[in-house]
Amino acid sequence: MIYPRLESLIAKKHNDEILKLARKKGPPNFVDIAVNKHTQAWRFFWASTAYPRLGICLSICLIIIFARFIPTLEKDTRSDAFMPEDHPALLLSQKARDTFGLGDPMVIAIMNNGPEGVFNPHTLQLLDWLTSELENIDNLDPEGISSLANENNIIGSDEGMEVEPFLETLPETAADAAAVKTAVMAFPLYVGTLVAEDGSGTIIIAEQIDPDKAQATYQALLALADSADLRSDERIHVAGEGALAGYFGSYIDADASRIMPLSALLIIALCFVAFGTLRGTLIPAFVVLATAASAIGLMAAFDIKFFIITNALPVVLIGIAVADSIHILTEYYETAARHPSFSSRELSATTMSHIWRPITLTSLTTIAGFFGLSIATIMPPMKYFGLFALFGVSIAWLYSMFIVPALLSLLKPQRSRAYLQHTSTNTNLIGAPPSQTSTSNTTTPQPQLDSFAKAASWLGKVTLKYPRSFLLLGLLTVTAGIHGGLKIEMDESLIKAFQQDEPIIIANDAINEAFDGTYFLDVMVETENTEDLFKPENLHKIEALQTHLAQHPYVKGSTSVVDYLKQMNRAMNADDPKAYRLPESVDLSAQYFLLYSVTANPTDFDNIIDYDYRLANIRISLEKENYKTIAAVIEYLNDYLRTTFNQTGIKGQATGRAYINYEWMQRLGDGHLIGLSVTLALVFLMAALSFRSLTAGLFCLAPIITTIFAVYAYMGYTGVALSVSSSMFAAIAIGLGVDFSIHTVERLQVLIGRSDVVTDQTLMALFPSTGRALLFNFLTLASGFGILVFSKVVILQEFGTCVALSITISFLASMILLPAMAKTFKPRFLGYATTQ
Amino acid sequence: MQKFILFTSLFTIFSGPLLAENAVSNNKNKLPSGEQVATNINSRDEGEAVSRKLSIEMSDKRGKTRHRETMGYRKYYAAEKRTVIFYLSPKNIKDTAFLTYDYNDPELEDTQWLYLPALRKVRRISASDRGDYFLGTDMTYEDIKLETRISTADFNFQTLGTCSADGNSGLQIEGTPKTKKIARELGYSKTLSCVDNKIWMVRHSRFWDIKDNLLKTVTISNIEKVQGIWTQHNIDVENHKTGHSTKLTFSAVDYQSPVPDDIFTTNAIKRGL
Repeated sequence: MIYPRLESLIAKKHNDEILKLARKKGPPNFVDIAVNKHTQAWRFFWASTAYPRLGICLSICLIIIFARFIPTLEKDTRSDAFMPEDHPALLLSQKARDTFGLGDPMVIAIMNNGPEGVFNPHTLQLLDWLTSELENIDNLDPEGISSLANENNIIGSDEGMEVEPFLETLPETAADAAAVKTAVMAFPLYVGTLVAEDGSGTIIIAEQIDPDKAQATYQALLALADSADLRSDERIHVAGEGALAGYFGSYIDADASRIMPLSALLIIALCFVAFGTLRGTLIPAFVVLATAASAIGLMAAFDIKFFIITNALPVVLIGIAVADSIHILTEYYETAARHPSFSSRELSATTMSHIWRPITLTSLTTIAGFFGLSIATIMPPMKYFGLFALFGVSIAWLYSMFIVPALLSLLKPQRSRAYLQHTSTNTNLIGAPPSQTSTSNTTTPQPQLDSFAKAASWLGKVTLKYPRSFLLLGLLTVTAGIHGGLKIEMDESLIKAFQQDEPIIIANDAINEAFDGTYFLDVMVETENTEDLFKPENLHKIEALQTHLAQHPYVKGSTSVVDYLKQMNRAMNADDPKAYRLPESVDLSAQYFLLYSVTANPTDFDNIIDYDYRLANIRISLEKENYKTIAAVIEYLNDYLRTTFNQTGIKGQATGRAYINYEWMQRLGDGHLIGLSVTLALVFLMAALSFRSLTAGLFCLAPIITTIFAVYAYMGYTGVALSVSSSMFAAIAIGLGVDFSIHTVERLQVLIGRSDVVTDQTLMALFPSTGRALLFNFLTLASGFGILVFSKVVILQEFGTCVALSITISFLASMILLPAMAKTFKPRFLGYATTQ
Repeated sequence: MQKFILFTSLFTIFSGPLLAENAVSNNKNKLPSGEQVATNINSRDEGEAVSRKLSIEMSDKRGKTRHRETMGYRKYYAAEKRTVIFYLSPKNIKDTAFLTYDYNDPELEDTQWLYLPALRKVRRISASDRGDYFLGTDMTYEDIKLETRISTADFNFQTLGTCSADGNSGLQIEGTPKTKKIARELGYSKTLSCVDNKIWMVRHSRFWDIKDNLLKTVTISNIEKVQGIWTQHNIDVENHKTGHSTKLTFSAVDYQSPVPDDIFTTNAIKRGL
């Protein structure tokens, strides 16, 4: 059956080639040709390498086309980006911003550790200078700058109330400064918010016009602070949510652009270690370049922003691209060793005819995994991460399928030192139908192995000796994962992403220690009609809300229109402390505001109450900015709003930075589980479909599930919280880890399928070849991600650790659990039923 | 937008020299000096006493408005000017009243009282700074105090050329504070006004803050003769820095009905209208 087809083929298509070959190198090995040329795959790859130069040129053009978009890529490091733009929390926050001019402010603190604190003429003059200089900074809203230098004092006199600036005249003497201190300390609203309780510091709060310009604004503030004339006991700190957000993006970017190239270089270098040849290094590098450039280029072309977590995309793409190349090149060098007489094109086509299936299967399952990630999340950055990783996988597949063979078909056949051993024996093993090769298979050759292949073989020996023990170990890992997983807490903190000696962290700590803090949760209070907020019952409700919140351990203080009215009431009662309470009639409240306006700026109360006296803002200072803190307070607040505060005519809603972060962060936990389930299900379906067996699907899933539980155990027992960065591990572990499973299962299927009697020897054949390739696959990925441990950014460290750990476990679980499972359960899909 | 910029810049290029020429050709010989203009403005008859309704409409940058109706009286005395304002609406500040004595002697601090009906008490208010905003409007105390006049004690005035406002031609007068201290007190570094030289009233003014940013635009309209006295009926102030604006509308202006002296007393504001 075979020979006539071969002859017709030769007659029809390949005549010239074979004649040429015969002239050059003597007669071709007809057995090899017979075996290989007759697979459809061989013919396909033979045909596809007909015009290699054209293919390569096209592929380079494609890279250039995509890469040309990359310069237009825009970054978006805002944490708002984690929510869909039309999310109600974002809309409400926009409304609060429009109404009260409040956003993510820059907070500038002047500290003085001298005995008088900031209340000495020099420091107060410095405050005045700095406050006025801030107006000249581009992105700062001149109307949104508040400090002791421009805020008004409300004081009582025998005859009435006075509203005048704290720094009516600049203090020249110690006595002047002390008078300012006395005045401020008597205004409860400002103690802790504008001045430190112990007088050691004072704060300037500056709202930004455009929060997207936070980075440049922060830099401008640092430059301004540097230019200040400071005495030895004075310090200026710049912090606040605005600064934090502004610095965060640049901090991560700087670090990522430092460490990502290292990661890429390391991965490519490991390819050289694996194959010891130039092409073994440059071909993976070319596929890596194509994959990364195409995916990032397409992102830019579609105007998708580069988000914080997009930083992980290049490494993931590099890992995927290089894995495909490693498997192709392993097969290439093995084939080259077996068939020294093959021409370049034959070698290329033969290699591809063997390896296309696992490469395609791994690509399909990885695509399924990333597709799962993108449909399961509502966070745009994650969605795009999944989609463009998916696209990258497809590009890597395309290049591996067509361009790598084209390149190989142009290069002279070459042998790698790592694969020399195969030359003497076993010329036609792989790809041959079982019936023809069964005899040679029982006497598997024992080639001399390099140390990597030896290591893999050793792993195989141990595995096959104690399969049940390893299965038990796997089960134990899953159990530990469940136990540890229950301990995992969800948390997220921008502050924790920075190293602790960064100026912004020092500033942040100093400010939060001395003041009520720079982390704000806002409550927007909405009443029905204009001037409803003059009503005592509404004001009392706000007061009660503030009192209730003050009892929460994470709340450091709060301010609202209530505090100003109380101050006015006290002032109108000759500063009697007992009169620090709310006015008891609508008219009185209204008249207090009129009284206040006698001398004050018409826009003075802009950020606490709207012009109609219908909306009010309560600003709550929180102790910390991490998810656990804000979630605790927001849930406490929401509970109160629901049960006590909200009634007909008045309602309160949480908003502001803390609330936005809470809204998207709280989805991390659920989102993680949903994403995981969807991804696993899709990967299972794809694997089951590919191998046409549900059991195969389960087999492929087993190492991944073990991996995920092992990482859960690690996180649970070491206290790594589930955050944006660490939650990403699962998607990537699945996307990359499933490749180990697929390669192993596919090779086991080939090995078992062509054997009459399956012995440990049959399974052992997995380890020196596929095992060695997977070992390099694992080493490149684990080191590529592992290098992130040296990042300055703590969240990148965590991410790197979790991913490197999951790659390691995926590799081990695939190498150990799958053969052990095969040996123990002898599943039919691997070929057991037909042979036994 | 770009077209607009192009247009305006072209306009500036072509009109700039024209205006300057205009200024030069008309200037110096024919036009009265800034000082003369100021003298003419300040010697205009404002009536010894006046009673009038004043409606105040204030808007913030979001377009939300507050509306106040008041009844006011003003009378010149030998040493001071006395003003009283009674709030008629809205309801929650009705009967609130504000009384001011502005002394001619700059050394004397002005005296102010506010009657708060909710407390049934008259409160003395400490003297305001001249640059403070008046009762939530975009006018400062100094603006209010001057009414239609301009202050030669604080500013040097210079005639720049001619101008037109509200369809009336006039003289472009630039005011510069005499000292930096004055500039800081008033909050202005420069003023530019268009003065109607037929009736010697300011029709349009712009004010720059001490950082030389355009701060306010004041537009005066509906200037009509009431009982023989030129009277402004509308003052619109727009604050460019805050986006806040104020519309003052005077009505029922009466220079002839007697204004009793005892209306300018704390008892009177307590008693109400």
